[in-house]
Amino acid sequence: MLLDDLPREIAFHGVYMPTLTALFVVAAVICWGIDRVFASIGLYRFTWHPALFRVCLFACLFGGLSLTVYR
Amino acid sequence: MVSSQALPSRSPLEEVRRAFFEWARSDGVTWVYVAKVLTAAMLTLWLAMRLELPQPSTATITVFIVMQPQSGQVFAKSFYRILGSLVGLTVMVALIAVFAQERVLFLLVVALWVGACTAGAARYRDFRSYACVLAGYTATLIGLPATLHPEAAFMSAVWRVLEISLGILCSTVVSAVVLPQTSAAAMRNALYQRFGAFAWFVLDNLGGGQRQRFEAANVNFVSQAVGLEALRSATRFEDPHMRLRSGRLARLNNEFMVLTTRYHALHQLLERLRSQGGERVLQALEPCLDELREVLGPWKGKPLLDRDAAALAEQLEMRRQRLMQRIREARAAVREQVEEVGERLDFNTAAELLYRLVADLHNYALTHASLADHHHERENWKFGFSPKANLVGSLVAGARTTLMILVFGLFWIETAWPSGSTFVLNAAAVAALVSAVPDPAKLAMQMAVGTFFAAILGFAETFFVFPHLDGFPLLCVALAPVFALGAFLSVKPAYGGYGLGLLVFFSFGAIPANMTVYDAGRMLNEYIALVLSQSCAALVVAVLLPPTSAWLWRRLEKDLRMRVVEAISGKSAGLEATFESRTRDLMNQAYGVAARRPDVQRGLLRWMFLVLEVGHAIIELRNEQARLPDEPCYAEAMPWRQAIRSMGRALIRLFVQPGEANRERALAAVEHAILTTKATEEPCAPDFESSPLRRVVSYLHFIRTTLLDPQSPLRDASQGTASHAA
Repeated sequence: MLLDDLPREIAFHGVYMPTLTALFVVAAVICWGIDRVFASIGLYRFTWHPALFRVCLFACLFGGLSLTVYR
Repeated sequence: MVSSQALPSRSPLEEVRRAFFEWARSDGVTWVYVAKVLTAAMLTLWLAMRLELPQPSTATITVFIVMQPQSGQVFAKSFYRILGSLVGLTVMVALIAVFAQERVLFLLVVALWVGACTAGAARYRDFRSYACVLAGYTATLIGLPATLHPEAAFMSAVWRVLEISLGILCSTVVSAVVLPQTSAAAMRNALYQRFGAFAWFVLDNLGGGQRQRFEAANVNFVSQAVGLEALRSATRFEDPHMRLRSGRLARLNNEFMVLTTRYHALHQLLERLRSQGGERVLQALEPCLDELREVLGPWKGKPLLDRDAAALAEQLEMRRQRLMQRIREARAAVREQVEEVGERLDFNTAAELLYRLVADLHNYALTHASLADHHHERENWKFGFSPKANLVGSLVAGARTTLMILVFGLFWIETAWPSGSTFVLNAAAVAALVSAVPDPAKLAMQMAVGTFFAAILGFAETFFVFPHLDGFPLLCVALAPVFALGAFLSVKPAYGGYGLGLLVFFSFGAIPANMTVYDAGRMLNEYIALVLSQSCAALVVAVLLPPTSAWLWRRLEKDLRMRVVEAISGKSAGLEATFESRTRDLMNQAYGVAARRPDVQRGLLRWMFLVLEVGHAIIELRNEQARLPDEPCYAEAMPWRQAIRSMGRALIRLFVQPGEANRERALAAVEHAILTTKATEEPCAPDFESSPLRRVVSYLHFIRTTLLDPQSPLRDASQGTASHAA
C-alpha cells in the first residue's frame, strides 16, 4: 500500500519535519470537514459535551493517521 | 438573621449548598478560569520541555495572551494569532535576508512595518486587530534578536512558530474541554435578556420617563449592539450550530438597532409634542400607544426564548391589524377636532412611526423565532458589520510607534547596550498590544507596573527558589502562585493591565529555557530593559497625541455627522444596515475615548441621537422614492422630488458645517419640500397605508421637527464652537 512506506520525516524548504506535523494538518482539515457535516445534520444535539466530542474525533483521526507512520 | 427567620424550614446543609451555588455563579467562575489558565500553562510548559523546544517561555506567554474566560474568544484569538504570527515571521525572515548587514536600514524597515501593523490594529475594532498586533509583535520578537545572529534567524523563526502553535493548541483544548464557558451561551443569554430590557425601556419612557435613564439605556443598547457583534464573530469559531445561524444573528442585531432607532424617533416626537402643548394629538394617540403597551407588557424584564418569540410574532401580526384600525379611528377624531395642519401632521407622523415600530417588532420576533431551526431562509443576510476606527486616529497610532522604535533603536545603537534589543522589542510589543484599547496610556502604565513586580518576583524565583528545586512538579509549585495572581488580576477589568504585564514579563524572564543559563548580570540587565521600555512606551503613548484628547473626539464627532451625508448620498444597497451599525460603532468608540469627560460624552450622545433621527428619516425617504409606482405624478422631474433633492443638499451643508444660517436654510428647504409634496395630486386615497406621498410628508415633517427642536446640538452650534474650546 502507498501509506505503508510513508517516511518518518519530510523535508520542507530544507527543514526536516516529522511527518506527524503534516498529518496533524491533514487530520485538522478532515476533522473540519466532518465537523461541518455533523453540524448541518444536527448530530451535536445528541452529544453531552460537543467540544469534548470534537477533540476526541480529532484525536481518533490523528491517531489513526499516525498509525500509518509508526506501527 | 432576617433570612433565617423568614425561611425557618431550611436545613444547614441546604444553606451551605445554596451558598455554594451562589459562589459558583459569581466568584467561582473567576477561580475556575484561574485554574484553567494554570492547567493550560503547566501543560504547555511540560510539553515544551518534553519536546525540547528552545524557549518554553514563548509557548507559555502565548497561553497568557490567548487565554480568555470564554472559549469562543480563545478560538478566535488563536486563529488570528497563528495568522498574524505567520505573516510577521514571513516578513521578518525576508527583511533579515535583505538587510542583514545594514542595521540602520533594518531598524528603519522594522519600525515602518511595526508602525503599519499598529495602525492596522488601531483601525480594525474586531479580531482582525489582533492579527495585526501579532504580525507586528512576532516580527520584532524574532527580528531584533536575530539581527545579532542573522545566520540563525530562519531556524529561530521555525522554532517560534512551533512554540506558538503549542501554546495555542494547549490553551484552546483546555478552554474548550475543561468546564467550558462558551461564548454561545453568553450570546444566547444576552439576546434573551435584551428584549426584556428593551420592553422595559419602551414602557418606561412611552409616557415621559426620565431623560437620564433614557440616555443611559440608549448608551447601554449601543454598547450591547457592538459587543454582540464581537461575540457573534467569536461564536462562529466555537459552536457549529451558531455558525449555521451566523447570518440570522447579524440580522437580528441589525433589526434590533432599527428597532431602537425607530422607537427613539417616536419617543422624540412624543416628547416634543409634550413640551410644545400638543395635548389633543397626544390624547388621540393614547389608545394606539395602549396597543403597544399591551403587547410589550408581559415581556417587561423577562427573557425572550426562541419559542416565546414565535408566540410574540403571532401576537404582533394580530395586533398590527388592530392597531391599524385604532389609528384610523383616531385619525377621524383628529380630523374633526383639529383644524391646524401642523397638528394633523404631527399626528400622522407619530401614527406612522408607531405602526412601523410594530412592524419592526414583528420582523425582529420572526428573526428571533427563526433561530430555533438549523436552516432558515432568513439566514440569507449579507450586510456585515465591520467596526472600524477613525483613519487619522489609527495612522497617528502607527506613526507614534514608528517614531518610538526609531528613537529607542538609535539609543540602542549609540549605547551598544547588551539588552538594547529587549528594550526596543518590548517597546514595540507594548505599543502594538495597547493600540486597540480606548485608553492606551493607562493600559501601558498598568503593564509597566505589572512588569516591575514581574521583575522582582522573577529575580527572586530564579536565584533564590529555582536552585533548590528538582524536577518539573516542584517547578510548577514555584510558578503557580505567580501565574494564579496574574490570571486573577487579568480578569478584573480595572486591573487587567497589571495582570497581563505580570504574566507575560514574568514568563519572559524567569521561565528557564531548555539549556538553562544562570547569569544574574544578564538577567538584571534584561529586567531593567523591560521595565524601562514599558515605562518609556507608556510615556510616549501618553504624551504624543494621545487618543483620549480633544483632537480625536472632535474628529469622531465630525465622522458622526458625516453619517448623515453618507445616508443622503451613499449607495442604497444595504444602506440602512451600514448606517445603523456604523453610527453606533462610532458612538461606542467616541464614548470610550472620552471616558474621562462626561460632558463631552453627553455632547456626543446628543449628536448621535440627532444623526440617527435625521439619517433614519432620510433613508426612509429614499426607500419610499425607490418603491414608487410608475405614475406621472411620481416622476423624477416632478417639483416635489426636486424639492427633496435640494433639501438633501441643504442638509449635507448643515451637517458638514453646522451653524444657524445653514440650519435656517435647511429648515426652509424642508418646509418647501413639504409644501410641494402636499400640493402634488395623487391617484390614490390620502391614507398613509395606500399613499406614498403621505408617508413622504410624514418623514419630511419629522425632519422638520428635528431641526426645530430647541434641545438639539444644532442649536448650540449656532453659538459658535465655544463648548469645544476646552
